[in-house]
Amino acid sequence: MQWRKLFRAVHRDLGYVAVALTISYALSGLAVNHLDDWNPNYRFTERSIDLGPLPAGSLADREAFVVEKLALDPRAVRGHFQDSPTQFRVFLTAGQEATVDIATGRGTLKSVTTRAVLFEVNALHLNNLKGVWTYVADLFALALMVLAITGMTMMKGARGIGGRGKWFVGAGLVIPIAFVIYMYS
Amino acid sequence: MLKHLLVGSLWLVACDKGPTQGSAPAMHATPGEPVAGTTYGAGVALVEATPVDTILADPDGFKGKTVRVEGMVTDVCERRGCWFEMAGTGAGLKLRFKVADGAMTFPVEAKGKYAVAQGVVAVNELTLEQTREYAVEQAQEKGEKLDPATVTKPTQIVRLDGTGAVVREKK
Repeated sequence: MQWRKLFRAVHRDLGYVAVALTISYALSGLAVNHLDDWNPNYRFTERSIDLGPLPAGSLADREAFVVEKLALDPRAVRGHFQDSPTQFRVFLTAGQEATVDIATGRGTLKSVTTRAVLFEVNALHLNNLKGVWTYVADLFALALMVLAITGMTMMKGARGIGGRGKWFVGAGLVIPIAFVIYMYS
Repeated sequence: MLKHLLVGSLWLVACDKGPTQGSAPAMHATPGEPVAGTTYGAGVALVEATPVDTILADPDGFKGKTVRVEGMVTDVCERRGCWFEMAGTGAGLKLRFKVADGAMTFPVEAKGKYAVAQGVVAVNELTLEQTREYAVEQAQEKGEKLDPATVTKPTQIVRLDGTGAVVREKK
């Protein structure tokens, strides 16, 4: 039938177009699915520091002390904050931060780097970009629906949707339905 | 650990009104002039800013009110980017700007930058049990572990349910 030929062509060519985003979204899906176990966007590194007791002056004096002791570039300093009676923090560019105990001068220098590839695909998948990307993602979602529907028509006969295909489709439906029932039970 | 809960608590220590910590007592922007920086959500439309300290000193007085708040970003949600905290002028004074997951995503690199935010002040009184759960959740977000038994008093959470924000390098 003519419609099957058309569906096959649509499935093939749309499938080619969707390859990159399908893999990207699947990769991101795996990454963000385990958000409670790890940070899929950032990698944090910490090193212990011991600067000695901070001066008793103003917070600006303390910031200068931390910067000098850590041999930091003053231009990399964004600001400071006394988070508690004992904790002083100096913020640096790129999310880097020194947290120091005022009395002892002991603390940590924390750095952050984005996870290559994952950070980008997560931004796309979670639509952090908003704006036009929202519509691109909508089109991709529609494309996936078309791929799913046309995919069911690829084969005729015993291996098609009218044959064993319907059991596989049913199995794929039963799994989420079972979890939804479990969710409400 | 309890300090993570006491977003609105006042630390009774000497504070410094240095150039980088906190927000100015009175802040007025020019009406109609867009706020410079990277805009998130609906951005900021209000012209007059309310200092973080003022809101935290009387949270019930601001409950349900839409306000514009400004301050240095001290913390950002590291996993979902769904909140950040802005510094007041006093030590330990911070106000959390919270949005629904995915509504806006703030980068961890925003720490130390300057935020101008708009939202509705929310005040939630927690029971001791809720306080413990919240404390554990907050600790987990920071990759730390907390024994809930160490939390012995219920607390109050003051936050800004955000509608929009602008983040820029400096004030």
